[in-house]
Amino acid sequence: MANQLLEVKNIDVWYGDFQVLREVSLQVEEGTIVALVGANGAGKTALLKTISGLLQPRKGEVLFTGKPLHNLKPQDIVDRGIIHVPEGRRLFASLTVLENLKLGAYIKRARANFDESLKRAYDLFPVLEKRKNQKAGTLSGGEQQMLAIGRAIMAQPKLIMLDEPSLGLSPILVKTVFELISALNEQKLTILLIEQNINQALKIAHQAYVLKIGKIVMSGRGDELLADEEIRKAYIGERVRKQ
Amino acid sequence: MGDIGLIAQVIVNGILFGSMYGIAAIGLSLIFGTMRIVFIAQGSVIVLFAYFCFWLFSLLGIDPYLSLIPIILVALLMGAAFYYGLFREAAALKDRIGSLLIAVGLMFFLENFMTVVWTPNPRAVVTSYGFYAFNIFGIQLTLTRLIGLLLAVLATISVSTFLRKTLMGTAVRATSEDVEASTLMGINPNRVNAVTFAIGIGLAAIAGTTMATTYAFDPVYGIDFAIKALVALTLGGIGRVYGALLGGIILGLIELLGTFFVGAGWSQGIVFAVFLLVLTFRPQGLLGGASE
Repeated sequence: MANQLLEVKNIDVWYGDFQVLREVSLQVEEGTIVALVGANGAGKTALLKTISGLLQPRKGEVLFTGKPLHNLKPQDIVDRGIIHVPEGRRLFASLTVLENLKLGAYIKRARANFDESLKRAYDLFPVLEKRKNQKAGTLSGGEQQMLAIGRAIMAQPKLIMLDEPSLGLSPILVKTVFELISALNEQKLTILLIEQNINQALKIAHQAYVLKIGKIVMSGRGDELLADEEIRKAYIGERVRKQ
Repeated sequence: MGDIGLIAQVIVNGILFGSMYGIAAIGLSLIFGTMRIVFIAQGSVIVLFAYFCFWLFSLLGIDPYLSLIPIILVALLMGAAFYYGLFREAAALKDRIGSLLIAVGLMFFLENFMTVVWTPNPRAVVTSYGFYAFNIFGIQLTLTRLIGLLLAVLATISVSTFLRKTLMGTAVRATSEDVEASTLMGINPNRVNAVTFAIGIGLAAIAGTTMATTYAFDPVYGIDFAIKALVALTLGGIGRVYGALLGGIILGLIELLGTFFVGAGWSQGIVFAVFLLVLTFRPQGLLGGASE
């Protein structure tokens, strides 16, 4: 039996009166990349928000390293080792690059290893060191994405959840971001990834889940889904035809 | 010469008076910045601290500047208690009306509480050195007002340093920019809000002590003061610590110069006319660009 880092079991999640997730279950094995794909409004972001504690499930449970998570506050979930990089990066634009990185290491456990983590972030993204005193809002799109990921690893997480990391980036930067995700994964980080860029995401994912109107409709190895006729037709096909 | 000397005197008084609006405005700015609460009770809280200072002085004979230490400590605790007791639920809502109503309720409660405890008659702390003044080039500088200005400047520098140099201060700035993103960093928004509220009320304690030592005050003076602080905040631009202090000083100058040149009856009208003009033509404040 593989070592499951994260287990989501039969969760129902509502936004007010509107149900966004129905009996969703998913497993993330330690050391893997798991992709979550599906159309807009399928509930992908809601699932990440539930894992990071911004939303509470009405039913079901979320386990991390075997312990329940769904009743914890977001700050305690960060402390357990899950970091959520939200869609649109959500950097603190008026704060400097270094201040953003400092806040990444806000939790006590991470604060103690700040120097070490900072060096790691700068090694990974030398441009951040060059721009450390610049306001985050003045960075280019690619640099902002690097800062968002750099800020995430400052928390010394076991699991990083990335919501649309390639959104709004040029094709070259998209490629860089995917290479980076693979590189992070090689450093033993587990990654849960939401992507519009399904082709690329399935290529690097060990495991993938397809969400449709709040339900998991399909799951399998990334390359399996990539080869699947239905997936190609529903999510990739159009793009291929256009090209 | 006589006229110029008098105008200089008015300007100096305006600066000294305005610095009190300034630190009240910094408190409002911080509380609005992180929690989006218009803390209209700030003025009444300032008057409450003026009474604390008055009581410590008249009952126990404690010097007002010495009493600043226990008063600030009480203020910090009171600020955290205000947040956890009154505003925690309302601050989490998108709708701002709830928190505004709580602040208005608190203001009226304090006004009535103070009227019962201290009577509606004006009070003042009159120390042995209260009338001591320096005479520089014919301008009278009262010692207590000078100390008031000094306290305001020191408080502003301290708050600004806290916001820039400490991790908690950085967290406060981050939370004012994006609560959800700061939550995802592991920042507890309640703690940040409580700290911010504590600092806001701590600043009210300093303004209250200055008020007690320089002017006579009564229980219903608070609302007037709170509205002036809001005007100062608008002049300086929301979210700027030094801007709020400067906004207060500009307001003090407008008020006193208006009284001097046009007449006391007109000075309030002028203040609010400037307020409306700034809101219409420079809603980001008189000073500088989009954000600090």
